[in-house]
Amino acid sequence: MTDTAQTWRGALGRAKTLEFQEYALAIVVVLLFVAGAILKPDTFPTWDNIRNMLTQSSVVGVLAIGMTFVIATAGIDLSVGSMVAAAGVFGGIMVGTDGTSSLVFILAAILFATFLGTCNATAIAYGRVVPFIATLAMFSIARGLALLLNDKLPVSLLDLNGGSFGDPRPFSLLWFGVGRIFGIPVSVFVFLAIAILGWVVLNRTRYGRYVIAVGGNREAARIAGVPVRRIIFSVYVLSGFLAGISTVLLCARLGSASPVSGNLYELDAIGAVVIGGTSLAGGRASIVGTFLGVLTFALIFSLMTQLNMSTEIQQVTKGLIVLGAVLLQRPEARY
Amino acid sequence: MTAILEVRNLVKEFPGVKALQGVDLDVVEGEVHCLLGPNGAGKSTLIKCVSGAIEPTAGEILFMGEPLPQGDPAGSLKRGVATIYQELDLVPDLSVAESIFLAHEPRHWPLLDLDKMYRASEALLARLGHESIPVRAKVGKLRPAAQQIVSIARALSGDVRLLIMDEPSAILDEGEISTLFEVVRRLTAEGVGVVYISHRLDEIRRIGDRVTVLADGRTAATGIPATTPTDRLVELMVGRKVEQLYPDRPVGTDRVLLQVRDARRLPAVRGVSLQVRAGEVVGLGGLVGSGRTELLRLIYGLDPLDDGEIVLEGKPLKAGHPRAAIRRGLGLAPEDRKSQALVLDWSETKNVTIADLGRFSRVLLDIKKERETARKELRALKTVPDDPDRVVRLLSGGNQQKVVLARWLLRQCRVLLLDEPTRGVDVATKAEIYRIISELAASGLGVLVVSSELEELAHICTRVLVMREGEIVAEVDGKDATERALLRHAVAPTDAPDLVEEVV
Amino acid sequence: MSRKRLLISVAAGLVLAIGATACMSDEETSTTTVTVGETTAAEGGSGESVSIIASVPPTDHGWLGAISKDAQAAAEKHDDVEFELLQAADADSQAQQIEQAISQKPDVLVVLPQDGAALTPVAQKAERAGIRVVNVDRLFTAPDAATATILGDNYQIGVLAANYIADELKCQGNVVEIQGLAGISVTTDRTKGFTDTIRQKCPGGGLKIVASQPGDFNPDKGLTVMENILQAQSDIDAVYTHDDDMAQGVVQAIRNAGRDDEMFLTGVGGSQDAMQQIKEGGLYRATFLYNPNMAASAVNMARLIGLDEGFSELVPPEVPRQVVVPAAVVTKDNVEEYEQYAFD
Repeated sequence: MTDTAQTWRGALGRAKTLEFQEYALAIVVVLLFVAGAILKPDTFPTWDNIRNMLTQSSVVGVLAIGMTFVIATAGIDLSVGSMVAAAGVFGGIMVGTDGTSSLVFILAAILFATFLGTCNATAIAYGRVVPFIATLAMFSIARGLALLLNDKLPVSLLDLNGGSFGDPRPFSLLWFGVGRIFGIPVSVFVFLAIAILGWVVLNRTRYGRYVIAVGGNREAARIAGVPVRRIIFSVYVLSGFLAGISTVLLCARLGSASPVSGNLYELDAIGAVVIGGTSLAGGRASIVGTFLGVLTFALIFSLMTQLNMSTEIQQVTKGLIVLGAVLLQRPEARY
Repeated sequence: MTAILEVRNLVKEFPGVKALQGVDLDVVEGEVHCLLGPNGAGKSTLIKCVSGAIEPTAGEILFMGEPLPQGDPAGSLKRGVATIYQELDLVPDLSVAESIFLAHEPRHWPLLDLDKMYRASEALLARLGHESIPVRAKVGKLRPAAQQIVSIARALSGDVRLLIMDEPSAILDEGEISTLFEVVRRLTAEGVGVVYISHRLDEIRRIGDRVTVLADGRTAATGIPATTPTDRLVELMVGRKVEQLYPDRPVGTDRVLLQVRDARRLPAVRGVSLQVRAGEVVGLGGLVGSGRTELLRLIYGLDPLDDGEIVLEGKPLKAGHPRAAIRRGLGLAPEDRKSQALVLDWSETKNVTIADLGRFSRVLLDIKKERETARKELRALKTVPDDPDRVVRLLSGGNQQKVVLARWLLRQCRVLLLDEPTRGVDVATKAEIYRIISELAASGLGVLVVSSELEELAHICTRVLVMREGEIVAEVDGKDATERALLRHAVAPTDAPDLVEEVV
Repeated sequence: MSRKRLLISVAAGLVLAIGATACMSDEETSTTTVTVGETTAAEGGSGESVSIIASVPPTDHGWLGAISKDAQAAAEKHDDVEFELLQAADADSQAQQIEQAISQKPDVLVVLPQDGAALTPVAQKAERAGIRVVNVDRLFTAPDAATATILGDNYQIGVLAANYIADELKCQGNVVEIQGLAGISVTTDRTKGFTDTIRQKCPGGGLKIVASQPGDFNPDKGLTVMENILQAQSDIDAVYTHDDDMAQGVVQAIRNAGRDDEMFLTGVGGSQDAMQQIKEGGLYRATFLYNPNMAASAVNMARLIGLDEGFSELVPPEVPRQVVVPAAVVTKDNVEEYEQYAFD
């Protein structure tokens, strides 16, 4: 029972098909990095830039982990970007202008996003609204709330950190934005922790198994005694909760909560999940793939900005790389 | 008699697998040539080579004496080879006529010539003796048998010399099968050659002229008469003598496990009461649509009860909650394994353990223990291949069924509900499944089996209940049960086959 | 030869309402005399009230928010104005709203189109139906789509920013440009005015635009784009951003990187936040006012058209075809004068 033999036999129908995909996307990530190192040898392959790219990945990355669970059940959550904006503004107004407590902001933002996610969950699991429609409605509602809550204005959060940019106090909001532990940004730790936790939950717990079963064959899952409705409910709550965490990471770096932030983050998150090999039809999900998908987007964005490419060329290039990354993977699942 | 199809020494290799290792087959004008063989014997590969869906590695296929172009489905079709697959590939929302002429509609360019299409469809259905099927009705409104006939009409809309039918009877009930056979006889009378694939040996004697048996990609026998005794056919298929197709009939105890009292859910189930005792195999026979599957769903809690009560080991069961039913010791192996029982992309292990993950779960799942436990259960049922990591999509029907059974054995359920447990399962595996059912009963489980194969119910059950129109109309002791007796109860005297469902 | 430049030079002359300037543009457009008779005939001449419907894009952005508020305020100042403000989510729904507005037969429509080209047909329809259209900020693509046009000068904003940065850096150094949303005229004009002027003013090439990337008028996009540019560019002296709100993200990226002493930054728009930071001094050095009062001016102008008064209070006897609101430079030295115009 050697592992190598098992992996190779995977091509002949063993339940290990995900491995090749993750492997293929890892090649894309390496290729992009090598391309960057060749084109911008002084500024791209630096520790500082790697740190920067990881930090940038963290916001959409946290959303994408939640999205992986949602898509694994054959659902979709189009509202995460709007929830980020709404949760940020809500947290901001809870703190008020003279607020000094980061904790209030963090809790308020996470709770509010979780609440919005619970609304999605209720509509989908108990109201039997199609996920696409329910979260499309929330996409609109949450964006509207973001604008409504503070009269269309951004909320400055700089006061939460006393305006200082020196050495942030641990667990202050600023700390999540610019703080570092052993030279690694706190937001990267948060993202990695959530990704690892996500992997463990999805692959090594009963809950994760149920999530995939619901996406793989809902009727069969029900007959086998999986609490299908509760599982579906839970993934949208989880997606909202992680949108709250994502809000904290974004607002910490931005020093403010803007009602227009998070625009189209849902597409980046869904894109990262799908190029990572999670099936939009449900039943197959890969956290490692999602992680690499998020990295792919961050690498593309960083590289193209560093090269100062014009927008139109950037868009075409990004599209081509995404298409190429998907073509490189599992040929049987392209259709 | 002219030979229509001659297959000589056909070989097909897939990477790592030799699916066909030199197969011979010849079909003459006007005969029904049955193709027999266990799952994986190469029947599908053979017909796919003939229909052009895949290209053989070596060997030759002569059609009307000329080589058939290989790997060219359109070419095969043009020469008159039509194939009807087991899964009906009709679009429910199209009308009968549209289905028959799908992709080769008669046209007044650029418009469809609907009149011509309707007239031609009516003519085709008349040729099959089913002019009563309305050509304008939606296919989804028809009964499965009528849909099957539409499929055949579609195949005949070209000039067909050879018709290949892959398990056409799998989804039909007794009455419908007779209808189908009449159609087949009409075609052979016109000189069409038919290749007929089925797992049901009784059918072969009813419809077949000659038989070819495949085993492990080789022809075990070809062109033998359809009157060959069953034992001999089974022996050819399995490559050894099967001692006994049916195990000893289990004798029940007195302890009642499951009680159904006046269960009702209109329109399918109209007040059913029954009991299943420990150690018993209770059969539930009847025609398709008599309410058997619906009754199992009610017992298991998949649908809510309108009225009545389900009692398990003396205590009432919370209706409408499958999870509650499972906790109380019920297990269900549903009719359609692929869509209702299995996550097809999952390994055998995961499919076995899904109903009982709690036993491997503290905070995290003990993956190693899970795999070993599943392997043990699968081995006990002799699941092939002996590989708990194998994706179930790739398993044969019989082995998929064993995976589902292993799930409920692991869960240590006390009452097992089986809906068509041997559908799409080859004869050798059928015998194994009968043995498993019998052993489960012997170990003290109560088993309730729904089957359309009345012969198997007659052989494996302690008692057989017959349903008709949502009610139990007869109870027959296993020892007295025969296929004929059960069928007589299942079909009401005035039951004329009505192929179109009433529009609600 | 540039029409824009001509406009700017003429624009400097005339004063409209609160420091805005009216002007005749070139001959071609100015010859189209407004026949105000049609409208007022229906209303029975001046002295009656004027009904004005204004249609604007979603006001989720600081400047657009201020626009609609100011328009409302301006309308309330006049007793004889019946005013209704419509907000649309996108170009399509704005077109539908205007269609509906036409059926209400107002005297004047004030339109700030989401997309000038897309809304030109419906504006033409309004004009043909005898409803006068005042086009604000984003231009329609056909001359017969509006009776009058009032717009800020985005090209001039680029010019002012280039002049300011070139002067501050004495034509030596590296400049980064964070643009608005790619593909709309506001962004294109602000970029063009900037690059044209840098080239003219610093012909030696000492002042280099080392990076130019879109930030979509969105603070979080501004943040991430600037983070990447900071990685690529080790030496930046100034950042020209197209918008004050977006600039907050850019500021944050620079501060998070601890490079706020290395460079300075300018914005556009005149938000309260920006003015506050300019007053405090430091990274945020200047903003260029793209005065939201143009909405108030547009309402005033619409009223005059509706009352058939033309610009009788002012110099020319008929309503001018085009009014350009000039941009102004706001720095620490003059920020107090401009704070009254700030929006938040």
